[in-house]
Amino acid sequence: MKRALLWLCLLLSLCLACGRERKAAPPPPVADNTPRDGGTLVRRLETDIITLNPVTASSRYDSYVAQYLFTPMVYVDRGLQPVPGLAKSWDISKDGKLYRFELNPKATFSDGTPVRASDVLFTLRKIADPASEAVQTAGSFELLDLPNTKVIDDHTIEVAFREALAMQLVRFRDVYIVPEHVYSKGNFRNDYNTTVVGNGPYTLVRREANREIVLQRRKDYWGTQPHIQTIIFKIINDHGTAWNALKRQEIDETVIASDTWLREHNDPVLNRYIDFRRFYKFNYNYIAWNGRNPLLADKRLRRALAMCIPTDAVINDLYHGTARAMSGQFTPDSWAYNPNVPVIRYDPVGAQQMLASLGWTDHDGDGILDNGKDKGRQKLAFELLALSGSATGKQLVQMVQAEMKKAGVQVDVVILDGATAIQRIYNGNYEAAYLSWDLDPDPDPYALFHSSQFPPRGQNFAFYANPEADRLMDAARRELDQSKRKDLYWRLHEVLAEDQPYAWVVQASAKWGINKRVRGVDVSPGLGLFLWYPGELGWWIANAPQR
Amino acid sequence: MGAYLVRRFLYAILTFFGITVATFTLIHSVPGDPVSFYIGRAGIASLPKSTIAAIKREYHLDEPLPVQYLYWLRGAVTLDFGRSVIDRRPVTERIFEKLPHTLQLNVAAFAIAALFGIPIGLWSAKHSGRRRERAAAVGFFLLYSLPSFWVALWLMQIFAVKLGILPLYGMVSDDYHDLDRWHRFTDRLLHFVLPVITLTYAQLAIYARFSKSALTEVIRQDFITTARAKGAGEAAVLWHHALRNALIPLITLLGLTIPYLISGSVIVETIFQWDGAGLLYYDAIAARDYPTVMGLTVATALITLLASVFADVLYAFADPRVRLGEGAR
Repeated sequence: MKRALLWLCLLLSLCLACGRERKAAPPPPVADNTPRDGGTLVRRLETDIITLNPVTASSRYDSYVAQYLFTPMVYVDRGLQPVPGLAKSWDISKDGKLYRFELNPKATFSDGTPVRASDVLFTLRKIADPASEAVQTAGSFELLDLPNTKVIDDHTIEVAFREALAMQLVRFRDVYIVPEHVYSKGNFRNDYNTTVVGNGPYTLVRREANREIVLQRRKDYWGTQPHIQTIIFKIINDHGTAWNALKRQEIDETVIASDTWLREHNDPVLNRYIDFRRFYKFNYNYIAWNGRNPLLADKRLRRALAMCIPTDAVINDLYHGTARAMSGQFTPDSWAYNPNVPVIRYDPVGAQQMLASLGWTDHDGDGILDNGKDKGRQKLAFELLALSGSATGKQLVQMVQAEMKKAGVQVDVVILDGATAIQRIYNGNYEAAYLSWDLDPDPDPYALFHSSQFPPRGQNFAFYANPEADRLMDAARRELDQSKRKDLYWRLHEVLAEDQPYAWVVQASAKWGINKRVRGVDVSPGLGLFLWYPGELGWWIANAPQR
Repeated sequence: MGAYLVRRFLYAILTFFGITVATFTLIHSVPGDPVSFYIGRAGIASLPKSTIAAIKREYHLDEPLPVQYLYWLRGAVTLDFGRSVIDRRPVTERIFEKLPHTLQLNVAAFAIAALFGIPIGLWSAKHSGRRRERAAAVGFFLLYSLPSFWVALWLMQIFAVKLGILPLYGMVSDDYHDLDRWHRFTDRLLHFVLPVITLTYAQLAIYARFSKSALTEVIRQDFITTARAKGAGEAAVLWHHALRNALIPLITLLGLTIPYLISGSVIVETIFQWDGAGLLYYDAIAARDYPTVMGLTVATALITLLASVFADVLYAFADPRVRLGEGAR
């Protein structure tokens, strides 16, 4: 044992001997609130990016990086309104099918060539080409009418669509234009994953797989120059490691897990240099009911089941008060949210009465409700899928299971890995599933609830079909008058809440830690910190060395 | 001898194909495929039918399984293992990029575990049954049962966050490229410390217990009594007479652990952001990245087959009877 101690001491002294002088902690941030230029921002990525090609990008992290390397056709601002990006202005025809974009004439790619309308056409073609496997944009540009899309002159393009959609303009925020003279060579899908020629305010300095991505501000950027000179993305998979890195000031921002937040966000020492932010984004957690299952096809039964979900306990015990209850598809930050729709309250007694009125009582005294028939006796039982990756998800389904049991409903929890769960759900081979959605800035839920969108066509794996809801969604996505569109969604909110294709469980808030030397950090209600304008492009570093 | 080698070689090839067929069947029979990976990636955006068809065509998912295997085999014999479903880079490139990182980490951990574990085993065998030995045994057992993610975070908290003497994560520091050769070396060494400790502490217990039980068995045999009787010192008895005989089961243990060299360190790789093959394997399976899974299987199979040959050589070195047996054939 003594020897072991000796070894440990030796090892320690070796560490000390080899250790180099660490960078001293940066000086306390100045109080001055005027933006400064320069400095380095170190951001954290949970997973390495998949590609630098913005057309074939398929993860949120790809977009985080692309937002610096490219200027999208249009930006959305803090309030989700479209504002000029690469396109300095646009005109939409009366019928809503033709978009005429004027590109910023000063716009250039990082290789110095100007951005032309032909590059826009090239990029749109690549998005529409199935061989590109453009998973994030192909769906939103399915109605693109390529034969009628025309280059008018070097800086003007008319983009045509087969049908008019209200949200089409906002979808151009995901369109990052790539230069045709570069990306038309070789294999588009394979050859542009590690190199990039963009038109945005930053260029790529280097990328080391699974380690870091370094970007440098372009001297010749044609738009509004951002403040920060260098952006470094550090790839850190583990939340605990990232949190420690934030504490050690090795990174400037990271998302924070719920339990870490609870433990640390009131720590006075940490609050001296870490800005703790908590906000809601367009996402929610829900239980999808398989409407094709004879048991779950009855909306009254689905409502009764929703009454068994202990929402308050979930919010307080699982999320430590950092989540909120949901009344339906639209979240409170969205203009589509109808505030008059009530949240379904936890009411196990009411649920039992409702179930009894539907013929579900415990006839045989085994603690589980049944339909009382001698022939074809059925118990009120179903399987609830949850994903193995989510710790809170597993806890939540267990809470639901326990509550439902009290009401006499038997829930069998099945934990599956992502790919398996997706295959079962999209094949309709499930009864209920606990999942979450990250929603688009536009509230259109067509892919989720329209009866034409059963998988594999869309994401309506609840197999929900209601002619009124169909009519509302069809009308709302074509309605170009915003106030009429709002009325349609308010009604849809009611209809969906009444029908309960999902049990909307909670909207959990995003929790972020940001080093206080980073300034200009603003939150968009719904989008959070990133991917809006100015968003991350408006940040600056308080202690940046002055040139 | 020649015939023996040829036969061994043929068996190895046969085993190799068996492994690839089994893995191929296994990974394809697990629910989910690259299409579900892409659907998951698309989130709320629906994938157009034509895109799904394009993905299926690309990975031959629309063909029967045996045909898919033949497609893979055709590529494999020309050393073309295809492109990863995840990031579209050639599978061989991804593996060769990460395999050395994992091997360095794991070989270091194995070496240290053996280096410390075997002497501890010797010591335990010598003091077997005494209170000190019992206490140590309990200690090692406790060590063995500590979950490695917890130990990793705890080590990180002490040595990186509180004391600040060791790096938090990664394989090199930010300023690695600006360092001279000596500092590059120490920088890498420092980054090894915490991951290696996390990997080693449990194995240490395994090696200690394993070598102890092997030695205890040998110590009871007559020739040890003979050695003692002829007046050999206790150390000489243990080192020269007993240990050598206890090596055989240890070599077996070594052979058994070699496949873990590639995939055994997923947790450590995740926590310390060590860009290794274990994490690659894990991600590839989660994404149903068939080409990468198959590529890694081939790499593991090759290393394991090589290791079994290597273990045979070691057997011959440790046990003269094996050598005699070879010669007599």
